[in-house]
Parts: sequence; structure tokens; C-alpha cells
Amino acid sequence: MSRRQCNARPKILGNLNRYVRHPSQILARSGGKGWDYVHNDKHLAVKTVAALLVGTFVTFVLLAMVPSGKAIPAFSRKYQTSCTTCHNNYPELNDFGLAFKKNGFKFPTDDDTFVKQEPVLLGSKAQKEAFPGAVYPGEIPGTIPIAFRYEGNFNWNSNQPQPVQAVGYIPRTDLFVPNTFTIISAGSFGPNFSFWIDDDISAGGSGANGGLGDGWLKYNDLGHVFHLPKNALNVRYGQFELDLPFTQARTPYLSGYDVFGEGALAQQSCSGSTPPNPCQTVNNSFILGAPQRGIEFGGYPNNGNFIWDVAIVDGTGSAYGGTTALVTRNTKDVYVRASYQFNLERDPDSRHAIQAAGATGPHDHTSIRVGGFYYHGKNQQNFGGSSFGSVGLTNTLNEPFYLVGGDVRFRYRNKLEIYGVGLVSHNDNHYLTVDSTGAGTFTNAHAVTSTGGFVAGNYWIYPWLIATMRYDFVNSPSDYWNGASQSRTRNDFRPGYQILVRANIKVVGEYTRHWGVPYQDAAGNTLYYRPNSFVTGIDYVF
Amino acid sequence: MKSFRFAAKVVAVSSAVLLLAGASVAGDIKGKVNVQGLKSAENIAVYVDAIPDKKFDAPTTKPVMDQTKMTFAPHVMVVQVGTTVEFLNSDPVGHNVYWPSISGNKKLAHNLGTWPKGEKKAFQFNDVGVASLLCNVHPEMNGYVVIVPTPYFAVTDKSGNYEIKNVPPGKYTLKTWSEDGKVTTQAVEVGTGAATADLTVKK
Repeated sequence: MSRRQCNARPKILGNLNRYVRHPSQILARSGGKGWDYVHNDKHLAVKTVAALLVGTFVTFVLLAMVPSGKAIPAFSRKYQTSCTTCHNNYPELNDFGLAFKKNGFKFPTDDDTFVKQEPVLLGSKAQKEAFPGAVYPGEIPGTIPIAFRYEGNFNWNSNQPQPVQAVGYIPRTDLFVPNTFTIISAGSFGPNFSFWIDDDISAGGSGANGGLGDGWLKYNDLGHVFHLPKNALNVRYGQFELDLPFTQARTPYLSGYDVFGEGALAQQSCSGSTPPNPCQTVNNSFILGAPQRGIEFGGYPNNGNFIWDVAIVDGTGSAYGGTTALVTRNTKDVYVRASYQFNLERDPDSRHAIQAAGATGPHDHTSIRVGGFYYHGKNQQNFGGSSFGSVGLTNTLNEPFYLVGGDVRFRYRNKLEIYGVGLVSHNDNHYLTVDSTGAGTFTNAHAVTSTGGFVAGNYWIYPWLIATMRYDFVNSPSDYWNGASQSRTRNDFRPGYQILVRANIKVVGEYTRHWGVPYQDAAGNTLYYRPNSFVTGIDYVF
Repeated sequence: MKSFRFAAKVVAVSSAVLLLAGASVAGDIKGKVNVQGLKSAENIAVYVDAIPDKKFDAPTTKPVMDQTKMTFAPHVMVVQVGTTVEFLNSDPVGHNVYWPSISGNKKLAHNLGTWPKGEKKAFQFNDVGVASLLCNVHPEMNGYVVIVPTPYFAVTDKSGNYEIKNVPPGKYTLKTWSEDGKVTTQAVEVGTGAATADLTVKK
């Protein structure tokens, strides 16, 4: 579990309580009459299945939809340099930070000359000649590369209508939520291996444990063996964030990207009056923004302008280890991404340098990066045969799904960046038909789809004062039918600010103008309200 | 053989006369700077303040301020007003050099821009004061150019010792500049030999 996944959980719990609503409410939307074509005894069984589907979906989304964020003061100590060497607004990386990361957490050139904390050699370099008769020499950091991060925020929430309070009360104001303390360790083991571990020591409040965000080992420049250009081929093992167009783990924003937290849930209402009918089965808790376990191959040849990535992963939402009845997925997913950066610097030397040469000093390149990505997985349900056992269905339900999208980012030096993502998700779907005898049948149904994305812009008024603005949108007809929103497209506007009080201390703030959320008054009328919020707080690393 | 001996005597006598003459026109100022409340007595500039009715030609030598291993080297450089300083980038990473003011005068702020490894940029300092050298990419980097009105200056070593050479005989005012300390002023009289002036710099 990554840091911000945990530390924002209370807020997200609140949000989901607002927009997903309690499963019983969703079913009640059809007045509890949506199953009246089924025999009454089976009505309860199928209704229970539907409620479980919603509950499972909501639980997974709750656990996984929010990003984590990291900056690494351990490197600051190692090189005796400021955070701003790699970050314009931590944890977002600047051009040099990206080059540093791509080089396995080492300076792109002559790293040894910059290291102020000498590593411990695990064998002299001459041991290479003795290999394979001796262990190949490596090294570990001279001091334990550990850093810490704390975040605490003040929350202001708009007034909840009484019926909403009754099922998920959120106070108008709430101090120091999220309230998170994170430990981060990262570095290199010699010229080729790099590593990363981050874990929430405490999240969401006193004594509340978080969990592992990322934990991986990477072999850099494996392509050297095959005489490929430098860093054209690397391999990474462990738990990591996918190479998303815009990292959720290192986003400077207080909130995660909505579309990276979007799962897929078929319409749960099986009323005869609201399409589709009969019930559908998709209940895919996969979200793009959560860390994944797997193996990743990737590279950044051509000076890092071209980036490619192929990952084979477990997929989020997998649940193993219990009885087979609890297994929700058992396949491997594939993620592919490629992007290309067009450098807009006029000076040829600048285009090839790590940072561009400007009249007043080096700065990030003015550039446009365009990319595309594709994720393919297979959601498996009823692995143990019990999920639909009440209607006599014991076979595993395989529902392939994919997400495909594109992205673009424009960056003007260290002053302005504008970027956006658009994606489409597609989940194979089934009807669950229960006849008068109570026997169920799966038949192919139209896919559950959604579209979404975001457009964001950050402007550095001063190097320490950044204005931010983001627009998130998700169009999900099934979420709409499930009562998640007032309209099929959910929109969030998020203006904000980030103030670097020091290079390692930030005051951050973000206002969210939320989409309209439906609720029902005492008379059963459907009304809407916007659970807008303002979050501001402190964020420091050391 | 006689003529050779005679020539040698002439050279020896002439050299002695010249040395005596030189000693009579220039002396050294030596001493130690003690500090109170400062971490170190190193890198404190000690210089002879402006001498009334005395002007000095700008030196032709160009001292080099290096940017190496993400530091300015030397940390403190003292130059006579009018000196051209060359700024060298020895690192394989991008640096720049700028100073936001000279002794608080923001009109004298300057940004030298960017240049690659191994190349230099020059700047002539024509105003007395202190330029705080910064790099806008690596804010931990800091150096100083202390521009003084006379060619008589030195920078203390780790122990606080300094030595200003070739100072003509006379009465002068010694001044100090340090990163965190107050300016110390002390009168000194230079005769034909070495003058000693110990100073104390307080925070």
C-alpha cells in the first residue's frame, strides 16, 4: 500500500460514501422491485450476489484509488545537494531528476566525482576478473539511504444533506487528515542495480498502519550486453507503479487522478424499466493507478526522448492466499507504453544536454511529449465457484478487459506545463439470467465501457510559488446507472497552490468542485448535492 | 679571472642595494584573525581599505573562480576593483553564476547565463563590495567575490592566519569581511619590515 493511498483513504472513504452510495441504496433505486420477474426465493439470492459485487468493487476501489508521493532526501544527503536539483516542485521531477532516475539513481555523467558519501565496496573492482570464480563485486551505500516524509492537512467539506450524513457523516472541518508518516529508501548497488522501497509507517491517524507502496530492484542498461544504446533496455522486478503517462505516485497534487482510480462495475439494477436487463456481471476492481507486482522491461534510448515499456503484472485487485472461493484473479496482465518527446529548444547543443542552456542559467527543455498506452487483462470471478453458487453457476467467469489511451505534455522551461490524458476502458460482460426455477445462466452481454481523462496545468509564478489547475472527467454509463453521479460524465475542477517554504517544506492547497452526487430525501425523491472540499496542509521531507 | 671576480662583486653589491631599496618601499602585514561566535576563522578576507588620494591600475591578471563538484572554488575570492574574474565550469552538469546584488545594491545584480564544461565566462568587477555567487540550479552552491579598493589583500587559512605582501610603508586601515561575521577595522602601520596585526571578528 503506498503512502498516499493510505493517507488519503479517509477522504476517499468519504468521497465514495458520497458518490458510490451504500449498496442497499443502489438496489433501492429501483424501489427494490427490479427483480420482480424472479421467483421471490431467488430474488434475495441474486440481490445478495449483486450487493456482494458492489461491495467488493467499492472495497477494492477504496483500497487502491489514491496515489502515493515521494521525494528522496537520501539522495540529497548522498550528494550534498538541494532537493531542487531534481525537483521543481517535489515530488515531480525536473529534467535532471528524470535523467538521474533513468540512470539508476546516479548522476548521468561522472557520478563518482559528485558522491559525498562514499559507498562500501562489496568486493574490489578487480574481482570482476576473478568472476565466475568469485562473487561479482558490488557496493552498498555508505550510509543507510533512508528518508522520511510527513503530511498533515486541514479539510473543509461542504455541508452534507441530512440523508447523506446518516449513511456517511463527514465533518465540516477536519484537522490533519490525512496524517501520514512515510519511510523511503532508495539508491544504487553499484553501476547497474538500483532499488526503491517506500512504506507508510503510519497513515490516517495514530497507530494506523499503512503498507508497502513500491519495492523493487532494477537492472539498468541490460542492453549493454547486446550492444544496444545506453539505457535502451532495463529490467525491473518487484512491486512498482506502471510507467503511466503521468505518475500518480509522484504527483504533486493532493488528490489522485480520477481516471486512474476508475474500476468497472456493470449496472447492478436489474429493473425492467432501466436498461440493461437482465443483470450483468462485470465487477472489475482493477485501477491503473495502483502499484503492481511484476516484471517490467523498458528503456529510454535517443537521449531519453523515446521511452518504451512492457510490463507483465498481476493486476490490481488480485486476491490470493485464501481458499479458492476468495480468489478473484489468477491471470497475468500486460501493459505497454511508448512515448516520444519532441525537443523544441532551438540550440542543438541544448537539445542534447540534460538541461537546456538559457540566458539566465540551465532550465528544463521546452518540449512536447506524446504517447500512447495499452493495458490488457482478464478479470476472473467465481474462481471457487461460490460467488454465483446460489444460482447454480460454479464455472469461472473470464472477462477480458483493456484500457487504451493517449497523452500529451507540453513543458515550457521551468515555468509552465500543460498536460492531459484520455483513455477508454472496455470490459467484456455477461448477463446473469435466473429462470423461474432459480437456475442461472451466463450469456454474453454488451461490454461495460467508460472514457475519461484529465487536463492539468501548473504555472511557476516564482520558483517557490506554483499555481495548479486540473480538470478530471470520467464518463461511465454503468456508474451513472448505479447511482454514482448526477450525469454520465463526472467532472471535477481542482484549482490549487503549492508553496515551497523551503526546498523540503511545502504548504499545499487544493479546492475540489465535485460532481453532483445523488441522494434520496425522506420522501424518496432523488436530489443532488456537490461534496466540494478544500484541503490545505503541510508536507515535509527529511 | 680578476675581471670575473670584479664583475661578481659588482653584481653582489648591486643586488644588496636593490634588496635594501625594495625593503624600504614595501613591507608585509601578517597576523591572525580570531573569531568569536563563528565556526571557523577560515575564508575571512583581510584587506587594506581605500587609501586617500591613491589610485591603482586595474590588474591584468584574471583569477579563476571554478565550479567543481558542485561547489565554488575558492569559496572566497578577494580581488581589486577593476579585476576581471573568469568563471569556469568544471562539472559535467549545467551550472550558472549569478549574484543578486553587490553589497545589497540590487542594481549591480548580474546573471552570467549558462556555459558547458571546460569553458569560461569573464566579468569585470568595477564596484567595491561583495558579490554572493549563486547557481540557480543548485541552491546549495555559494561563493563570494570580495571586491576591495586596493591591491593589498589576503584570505585567511584554516587557522585564521593571513599575510598581505608588498605593502608600501605607511599608515593604513585594515578591514575584514567574513560570511557570518561583522566587519572589523584596525589601524596598522607598515614600516620597512613586516607588520603584525591580529584581528578579532565577531558574529
